Amino acid sequence: MLNLINAAAAQAGNVPPTLIIDICLMAMLVVVAFAIVRIRSLFAIVMLQGVYSLLSAAWFVSLDAVDVAFTESAVGAGISTVLMLSAMLLTDRKSAPVPVKKALGPLMVCVLAGAAMFYAIPDMPAFGDPDSPANTGPGMEYMTASVKQVEVPNVVTAVLASYRGYDTMAETVVIFMAGLGVLLLLGLNGNAGFWQAKVQGQNICTQAAPRARILTSPSDKPNTEPRAPGDPEPSSKNTSVKKVAAKKTAARKTAAKKPATKRTTSKKAAKKPAKPKGEAS
Amino acid sequence: MFNILALSQAWLTNEAPVAIVVLPLIMGAVCALLPKERLAWFCVLITTLICTGLSFLILRDVMANGTISYALGGWDPPLGIEYRVDGLNAPVLMLISVIGVICTLYALRSVSAEIEPKKRGPFYGAFMIAFAGLLGMVVTGDAFNVFVFLEVSSISTYVLVAMGASRDRRALNAAYNYLILGSIGATFFVIGVGFLYMQTGTLNMADIARILAESPESRVTQVAFAFIVVGLGLKLAMFPLHLWLPGAYAYAPSFVTAFLAATATKAALYLLFRFVFTIFDPTADFIISALTWLLAVLGVIGMFFASFQAIFQSDARRLLAFSSVAQVGYMLLGVGIGTMAGVTAGYVHLLGHAMTKGALFLCLGAIWYQFGITRISDFKGLGKTMPWTMGAFTIAGISLIGVPGTVGFVSKFALLTAAADKGWWWAVAAIMFTSILALIYIGRMLEAAWLQDRPKVDGVDVATREAPASMLIAMWTLAIACVVFGVNASWPLELAGRAASVIMGGAG
Amino acid sequence: MNSHLILRTVSKFLIPLIVVYGLYVHFHGDFGPGGGFQAGVIVAAAVVLYALIFGLDACKVAVPPSWIRIGMTTGVLLYVGTGVVTWLLGGAFLDYDVLRNNPDHPAGQHLGIILVELGVLFTVATVMVAIFYAFGSRTPDISDEDW
Repeated sequence: MLNLINAAAAQAGNVPPTLIIDICLMAMLVVVAFAIVRIRSLFAIVMLQGVYSLLSAAWFVSLDAVDVAFTESAVGAGISTVLMLSAMLLTDRKSAPVPVKKALGPLMVCVLAGAAMFYAIPDMPAFGDPDSPANTGPGMEYMTASVKQVEVPNVVTAVLASYRGYDTMAETVVIFMAGLGVLLLLGLNGNAGFWQAKVQGQNICTQAAPRARILTSPSDKPNTEPRAPGDPEPSSKNTSVKKVAAKKTAARKTAAKKPATKRTTSKKAAKKPAKPKGEAS
Repeated sequence: MFNILALSQAWLTNEAPVAIVVLPLIMGAVCALLPKERLAWFCVLITTLICTGLSFLILRDVMANGTISYALGGWDPPLGIEYRVDGLNAPVLMLISVIGVICTLYALRSVSAEIEPKKRGPFYGAFMIAFAGLLGMVVTGDAFNVFVFLEVSSISTYVLVAMGASRDRRALNAAYNYLILGSIGATFFVIGVGFLYMQTGTLNMADIARILAESPESRVTQVAFAFIVVGLGLKLAMFPLHLWLPGAYAYAPSFVTAFLAATATKAALYLLFRFVFTIFDPTADFIISALTWLLAVLGVIGMFFASFQAIFQSDARRLLAFSSVAQVGYMLLGVGIGTMAGVTAGYVHLLGHAMTKGALFLCLGAIWYQFGITRISDFKGLGKTMPWTMGAFTIAGISLIGVPGTVGFVSKFALLTAAADKGWWWAVAAIMFTSILALIYIGRMLEAAWLQDRPKVDGVDVATREAPASMLIAMWTLAIACVVFGVNASWPLELAGRAASVIMGGAG
Repeated sequence: MNSHLILRTVSKFLIPLIVVYGLYVHFHGDFGPGGGFQAGVIVAAAVVLYALIFGLDACKVAVPPSWIRIGMTTGVLLYVGTGVVTWLLGGAFLDYDVLRNNPDHPAGQHLGIILVELGVLFTVATVMVAIFYAFGSRTPDISDEDW
């Protein structure tokens, strides 16, 4: 349908209207992305991520990728916003400012990756070119062959579940593994992480490793320390810095855990956090 | 009856490439539910044993009949996904499954000391999935399928590393760093595959190679190459991208470290071989210059830098982790040399280093198991308190240095010859010099262990406490393998020669 | 939460509808956009909504964490199991055509796709709920000024 409009518009010598929509949506994506990077309120960031997902879903619709748009809006704008919110509740409402020095590395990575993509533009096939390799190779073959071979009207489903069903199987395992990882690290009832490894023989180590400690003083507030993506681990030489960071992680974990253990005893406390969340959504 | 057996063997040979991946996946899902630790461990052991059998079957088949191709779902490539096993990936499959068996044998006691009892079933499940992911990465002939299995293995590996938190809280930080950098690596890789798709319209490796060879050189291909090399570079800990590795290896549970050090970076390296030589056209100008100026040079810088850093480590595991980065440098140098001899040397080093480093990390795990030691300053007198463990450690250590009679020597010598043939005397000098550095950092540990007195606690000598038998068997198997393949190097060299001929045959 | 009568009533009405919509997305994936993945997310959203309105403890009674663990595994086994069944029937791994033999109509493909998507649905829905449970169970109490 949209393709027809495009073709008609192209014949008339005009800019196709969907192209204008595409450009507008992409511009909005860029604005939202900058906002996410600049804002320090974690709540606003989570919400903006939802906005970002919804915008990209709209953009995918305009690109005729309805299945992708559906997934993006369901996962990106829907469930992951809720999950991010519940993760945020375990940390803090505001992120600490990132020093410029720390932001430089990731910025360089982004600039270089972007520059590489721009470098490739002259040799890319034109946008929507029907003769591009992607539109003539197996991509086209799926369109023609699946009608007979799979007889599923939605070719995307045919490709995902049948032609490339093995990929989807592995993706299912990825999701399963994510769940298993959460189970291993956090536990479904918020009671994991206190067990300590035991040396079987005689412990003659002169310097003990930092371990899980249950902090009791109320001053141990969760301390958030956002790390920019790609921020490299401090080099091995200054181990003291690392130890401090590790201790902070430990402190954050245990501090976050404390109320959770209280929860199991009092039912009232359990119901409390549900209320604001309900209002928020 | 005999007929059925013959039939089943034919069926097994036919389906082995898929079975070797699917079986651990099923077991991973099942182990996640098993409440009994022993039962889960037993399932894992059986699975890894079967996978080893299958990998031998595959290797024999490849050696006899050449490339195996398997169309998944019955869809012929390029419509469907193809599994493609040739001389390049069959040995890596075998390596991963054999290391899997050895690490599983070791895991029984190690896991019971390091992992919370009720989490042991799911932990074994996560291990199975990491194992399946690595095998899937190696066996596939489809560029996107590589990415999917890369994700399977990566996500499970992050979790496995983080499980070291019950021993050392810093594992959480290390796993987080690994997660961020690993995700960036995977993203770069998939962007590269996307560019390849843009250029060729297909995801099948053989198809991509065919179309790229036919089409004129394009900027899209160059960018695809750059993204894929950076993405894989992060996974295989290429020198400036290795920052995740020391932390992850130092704080992961013992047997996870040994398994990862022996297999994970090796599978990523295999992918580098596969992409650089058989998918892209290695005769193209930009690839030749990238091999020389990027991989070889970075490899050599990494050898120096990481070896020096290893010397100044106080933690034994971090030391060996930096040494791993240096060893990856040797393999990259082999890739960078780009000749038949160079690739063969790099490939032998890949196989040999897996055994060596696996054995070393297994020994360190046993030392922690009995004495809680991770720091080199506590190593004194270990030769007296754990003679068998330190024996295996010493053998693997001299293999790491490259003493004649060990597998480390075979690959380093091959690398030296390859570099000399190419006229790269600076590379020859670098290999010699970093071997001396290896002697220093391994020597530090051996000196403390063998030449110093038994440690005293409260004025009393610490008693001799040897590691449990299952651990000793595991580490000695690898240590003996280091020597056997060092003395009789024909088998690994033959495998590597086959692999190199696959690569160079692709070069035309 | 007792005071939020409207929220409770509306969500009681909505939650079954959301689940039915999820199933529609799943079974209609052959014909329109959608499939197991999206359906799984939608079903998980229904559970999350229940937890938000009635509290996590009530939700854990309705959908026990032990079910979640079993569901995760079931999904994967359903997907891989479909492949194993195609093996046993003599085809290649995940070759759905052998599931049902029909010379002029790929009926096996339809059956296979529905089965594997069902596996995806199980895994996705339960994993999403698992992550929500894991985070939610650790959530510290929220002070009023935070909102």
